[in-house]
Amino acid sequence: MTITSTPPTPANTRAVAQTSRWSQVLTTLLLYVVSISVALLIAGLLVSLTGASPWEAVQAIFQGSLSDAAALGLSLDKAAPLLIVAVGTCIATSAGLFSIGQEGQVVIGATVGAMVAIYLHGPGPLILVVTLMGAALGGAAWAAVAALLYYWRGVPVVISTLLLVYIAYQVVFYAVTQPWLLQESGQNVASPQSDIIRNDAWLPRIGEYPGLNFSSLVVIAVLLAVGARIVLNRTTWGFRLRMLGLNPKAARRAGVSAVLLGSLALMISGAFAGFLGGALLTGGSHRLQPGISENVGWDGLLVALVARNNPILAIPVAFFFGVLRAGGGFLASTGVPRYIVDVVTAILVLAIVFPPAYQYLRREIRARRLARALATGGAA
Amino acid sequence: MSTQPTGAPAHSAGAPASVELRGITKRYGSIVACDDVSLSVSRGEIHGLLGQNGAGKSTLVKILIGLAQRDAGEILLDGRSVEIPDPLAASTLGIAMVHQHFSLVNELSVWENVTLGEVGRPDAQRTRELVRSIGARYGLDVDPDARVEDLSTGERQRVEIIKCLRRDPSLLILDEPTSVLTLAESRELFTVLRRVAQDEGKTVILISHKLDEILTATDHVTIMRSGRVVAQRVTAETDERELAREMVGRELSKWVAASALGDLDALVDPSLSSDPAMLAPVEPIHEDEFPFRLRITDAYASRDGRPLLQGLSLDLRAGEILGLAGVEGNGQQALGDLLSSLIELDSGTVEMDDVVLPTGKPGAMHRAGIGVIPEDRHQSGCVLDMSVAENLVMSTVGSVARRGFVSRKAIRANAERLIEQFEISTPSPDTPMRQLSGGNQQKVVLARELSLNPKVLVAAYPTRGLDVGAIEYMTERLHDAANSGIAVLLISTELEEILTLSHHIAVIHRGAIVGQMRRVDVDAERLGLMMGGQEA
Repeated sequence: MTITSTPPTPANTRAVAQTSRWSQVLTTLLLYVVSISVALLIAGLLVSLTGASPWEAVQAIFQGSLSDAAALGLSLDKAAPLLIVAVGTCIATSAGLFSIGQEGQVVIGATVGAMVAIYLHGPGPLILVVTLMGAALGGAAWAAVAALLYYWRGVPVVISTLLLVYIAYQVVFYAVTQPWLLQESGQNVASPQSDIIRNDAWLPRIGEYPGLNFSSLVVIAVLLAVGARIVLNRTTWGFRLRMLGLNPKAARRAGVSAVLLGSLALMISGAFAGFLGGALLTGGSHRLQPGISENVGWDGLLVALVARNNPILAIPVAFFFGVLRAGGGFLASTGVPRYIVDVVTAILVLAIVFPPAYQYLRREIRARRLARALATGGAA
Repeated sequence: MSTQPTGAPAHSAGAPASVELRGITKRYGSIVACDDVSLSVSRGEIHGLLGQNGAGKSTLVKILIGLAQRDAGEILLDGRSVEIPDPLAASTLGIAMVHQHFSLVNELSVWENVTLGEVGRPDAQRTRELVRSIGARYGLDVDPDARVEDLSTGERQRVEIIKCLRRDPSLLILDEPTSVLTLAESRELFTVLRRVAQDEGKTVILISHKLDEILTATDHVTIMRSGRVVAQRVTAETDERELAREMVGRELSKWVAASALGDLDALVDPSLSSDPAMLAPVEPIHEDEFPFRLRITDAYASRDGRPLLQGLSLDLRAGEILGLAGVEGNGQQALGDLLSSLIELDSGTVEMDDVVLPTGKPGAMHRAGIGVIPEDRHQSGCVLDMSVAENLVMSTVGSVARRGFVSRKAIRANAERLIEQFEISTPSPDTPMRQLSGGNQQKVVLARELSLNPKVLVAAYPTRGLDVGAIEYMTERLHDAANSGIAVLLISTELEEILTLSHHIAVIHRGAIVGQMRRVDVDAERLGLMMGGQEA
């Protein structure tokens, strides 16, 4: 899998020989090799600073993520949430909307899910389904706030979705600290968390420890990714959505309503995140806690960024991040501080995002230098 | 001076030429943009550089102002061989250029724009004086304290020229300077150029694809075709026919000859031309046979409190081409946007076959049968990052889909049919739109709009930026469209284009129609007055 960047080709350079395309691919590859090497070097130095051996750290990451069936299952478990957030992000981005509030939508989804699961009575599997649906609706509603602000008042989606994350954190904290709402009942020491939801409404797991075992969320995530790809690339709805994202004005001429389609895309993206919140509740902690999201809303954005908004490409990327998460957890248990693990992950992400950003910047700077020369040269 | 090409001015035999290019060659990949181009211009001369788009004029000029580097050849200024690695170097050497598109800051005043790019503290008083003195010297009258956004296009161009002249260049290059000007403004410009060249002894290179302005304004002309110099003439010793033939490499059909070549006088009065029949006005259609299709009544629209349309009324008949003339920026864009559902009316109505259409509702105009070739095909006519095939079904993706799933087969079949029918030159239907030439992108837009069998076709500046071949093609297609019963609204600032095609001509000024006339009754003077905003 090579990731090539194709800059816009002006018509008069259309016939530029294949050779330059090859040299472009080579340059891109070289950039990746260099930037990842540098990242590994910095990561190694950081780990050494904490007194641990970098090589042992690598071994620990491997051991925690890929060394045996159970570790692999853990990696999958860690990857699935990231993939779901990333796929939702791809849909919003296709419509040209840069929503970064998935973290908040996850939290709200989990909160709504917890209410459904705790207060609704009925057969377990039904409760599970309704919980997940409620969670998805919660996430969608949270995203709808941003859509409303954008199309009604022109508030940038990036800003509104970001700020809504912090409101969401407050909402969930409020919910789990109010006894009349969701706070754990019958405890003397009031802790900020809900009751455990009934175990017949838990998300089923596939496989048994110590063999390969993982949450059914993994299967759901992959299906969602494939589904999103098909919807985006093969349906008229996806066609209109991409048109809207690539050229809103042309889309409007062709009869696409940005308000309707854009809002819908934003809400679907929110529904993905909200659904995930419900899944983390029913498949993970089984009770609502303020930290239930474990930052998957943020890391999922990185997956979408690295996968360049391609849901299929997001599958391996999410797996890579899952490995880092699983391995990082294990590494932390060997004594390397948890924050160093996070820093190392961040450096690796930067290394992957760096080459395309660098190429883009280089083009921009060149164009700018030319423009400046023109402005001061009196030729303009 | 054996190296001098045939077109070199005779009177320069003694002194070295002000600018001399010898064997300039420039390749972009396998494309040769300039192939062994030689030309020489003497001091005090206005030299025309004539050619179609893609003939190599722009590349040649880019090399002269340091935007591109030559692969071979030599540049001599006053007999001295020079290198021009970047625009700064060009400026130091006394080369200045007035670009086709202005680079002015609208919110700033004239003197502020003139001082932009200077290092150090701006000196308002001195710059104002400078603007006035240059204005007086060259006949470029403009108020230094006026805000650029309040100026007319012609005045803005004067500011651009002052920006160049203040550096006292020895060589002034103008790239298609009249494309944004009215007739009167163009004539004023040529007077200024004459002063620049004769009285101030500067050298002027005028790039154009319009024959009449080359004939009026220049002393010598170099004609380029496919990157080569095909002819060099003393302007006084040539005529439009010869120039046209050299530029295009063949005789042109009736439909383009006049409009593409910018021969306005002959269009207004065919007897002036060597071939009057070729330029005869379009016969009026029998109006009672054709019903009104589109009717805009008393339309008012504004954006952010700024008026766009101010009581515009327009009737469009089936089978008729209505040419909307006017100076750019007088509401043409708003009218196009209105008919593309991009803006909403504050008051007034748009009716199609007596049915009132909702304005500003995405897709409503389109569904009512209005096809639009927008003025800016890149910004709103197509999606550059989608394929040609996808661009061809943008508004009718439902027709190539089953149960919501787009059929790749159908989308491809549709594309192949239209590519053949409209002679679109593309490597494959799946080629990204971005990689097509301007002419072919325009063909894609035209093909898509016509494939919907519209009742009304709005064509805004349909030939802008296209070369003669593509102009010929577009012109013929629009004519055919009207013949097939479509009501065509042709929006253009090129009078030649409007005169060639239209049955009726309406003039737009400040968001309203100031007058209307039949093509056969056209009178250039009256048209000019109306474009200037006078009821005539």
